[in-house]
Amino acid sequence: MTSAPIAPAALPTDVAVLSRLEPGLVERLRHEALTVPQDWALEYGEYQNGGWHTLSLLNDSGDPRDVTIRDCARVRATTLLEQMPAVSELLTGLGVRVMWARLARLDAGAFLWEHRDYGELSGAERHRLHVPLVSNTSAYLVLGGTKVHMSVGRVWRLTPTSPHGVCNRFGPSRIHLIIDCYADEALRKLDHGEAPEPGDAELLPSPDQAQIDEVVATATGLADLGYDHAAETALLELFYQFALPEGRAYDLISDMYTELHRADDAKRWRSKKDVMLGRS
Amino acid sequence: MSSRLLNNIAAVNLPRQFGLLEKAIGVIGRSSTVHSLHVRGSLAAGTADRLSDLDFIVAVHDPSFGPFIRIIDTLMSAELGALLPGWRDTIVARMGGLGYVFLVPHEGVLQQIDLYAVPVSRLDTVLARTKAMPVYQADGERFQRHSQQVDWLINSTLDRPYTTRELLVEILVLGHMIHKRIARGQRYVAYAEMFALHTAAKNLIKAALAPGSAFYGWYQLGEEIGTTPIGRQCLAGLDRLISGNPIPQSGDLTAALNIVLELAERAAPDAVAGLRPAIAAYRYYLEQM
Repeated sequence: MTSAPIAPAALPTDVAVLSRLEPGLVERLRHEALTVPQDWALEYGEYQNGGWHTLSLLNDSGDPRDVTIRDCARVRATTLLEQMPAVSELLTGLGVRVMWARLARLDAGAFLWEHRDYGELSGAERHRLHVPLVSNTSAYLVLGGTKVHMSVGRVWRLTPTSPHGVCNRFGPSRIHLIIDCYADEALRKLDHGEAPEPGDAELLPSPDQAQIDEVVATATGLADLGYDHAAETALLELFYQFALPEGRAYDLISDMYTELHRADDAKRWRSKKDVMLGRS
Repeated sequence: MSSRLLNNIAAVNLPRQFGLLEKAIGVIGRSSTVHSLHVRGSLAAGTADRLSDLDFIVAVHDPSFGPFIRIIDTLMSAELGALLPGWRDTIVARMGGLGYVFLVPHEGVLQQIDLYAVPVSRLDTVLARTKAMPVYQADGERFQRHSQQVDWLINSTLDRPYTTRELLVEILVLGHMIHKRIARGQRYVAYAEMFALHTAAKNLIKAALAPGSAFYGWYQLGEEIGTTPIGRQCLAGLDRLISGNPIPQSGDLTAALNIVLELAERAAPDAVAGLRPAIAAYRYYLEQM
């Protein structure tokens, strides 16, 4: 996979840098994240291509492998968090009202496809804090046609109710501490209004029709040979290479199957688009 | 009982490549146009070590050979996470097909997959020239009719000059190979591959700055390329490159890659820019080896 040229940009409004962490603390958090977790859980399979794994730190069951997030009236430490004192100290110190806290590992070549979060939850306002612990420049979030690399050493806020996706194209594995929390005064106080740094955000290029046609032709060639999954992946990856209108990558897959006279597959991807983008 | 326990121990001590081998067979064999898959090289010879590459022969029914070649890069990227487009292998012998080398991160390590695609009509010729073991065989008839169109595709692909991007990929693949030679203490092969890397760097400069060159190999570089400031800077880089240790050690390889990337940035910036994130990851994995 190659890269198209990109231009520097401001952070999208749904992403912000809240505060900085002490380098010594980051090292201790990273050490725990790399040495303690085992038996990572694979969940949300329909949202990803198989390389996104999580373990819970705070939830209402105390089980680290209980990773399907939901509203929790009161969270408690999982058996994993009990073994991670630095992470525990950080979570307490943030002072926010936590809905769920997880460690998330995104392996080399892994993608979380374009989607909206929180659609199945109550209407309470909530946000997602990201504390990157291990990352690399090929790991990034895409939101509104902007590529955001969440660098290590800072606390980031993401409001994941807009369509977004995440990838780690080449690795090594990316590990983030992810805290879903309710909007309140504590969260507002956490926002120190850190200025973004050069390289945090870049605008993805708008594709011209020839570029789209070329990828569609390759994807169609893959599907013709029976490599449906690779064909779908090639089209879904366009979301990470170009600034596309919402849901366009899903439409391209449906259109491809329509062209191949595979009406059932075209319909399946139209339904999947609705699920992923929270329209059903 | 003891045999089962030994099998259990063997299973947990399988080289890392086996997981990737299994995955690659599952991915490539998914198409009904693939007639069979065979492993060759050290895996087939029983001499594989933890650094060994995965050497495949993929036999594709003749009518689908061209379409298969057209999608091979995307297939390897989408399904196996190949770091770079496949390098059209010029080291493998001409046996009637097309060879490509891919670098694939697997369990935190960069693995090399050598994939030799061959039309079914030429499979017997290939199998007669190399030690190979079948690992996948599709049901159904074997399509044998020979196609001149496939021959034309193979020959025109082999004869087509490399682009600067392909040469950059070649350099990176060679760097990975040399790293393995150094780790194994294979001095002669390290020497040969380092010379191949120097040659690829020279070819990259020529492809970028003298694409219509009428001169052979290393001849007339100064006269043809060294007439402009950028040409002289690239040749100065090439000079530093070929002045390094002919039998490289790890530090020599790092220095060589630094020089090559610097001169590639100067001679073919678009080629470097298009692969920049992949190159960053490549360098990380090389350091971890």
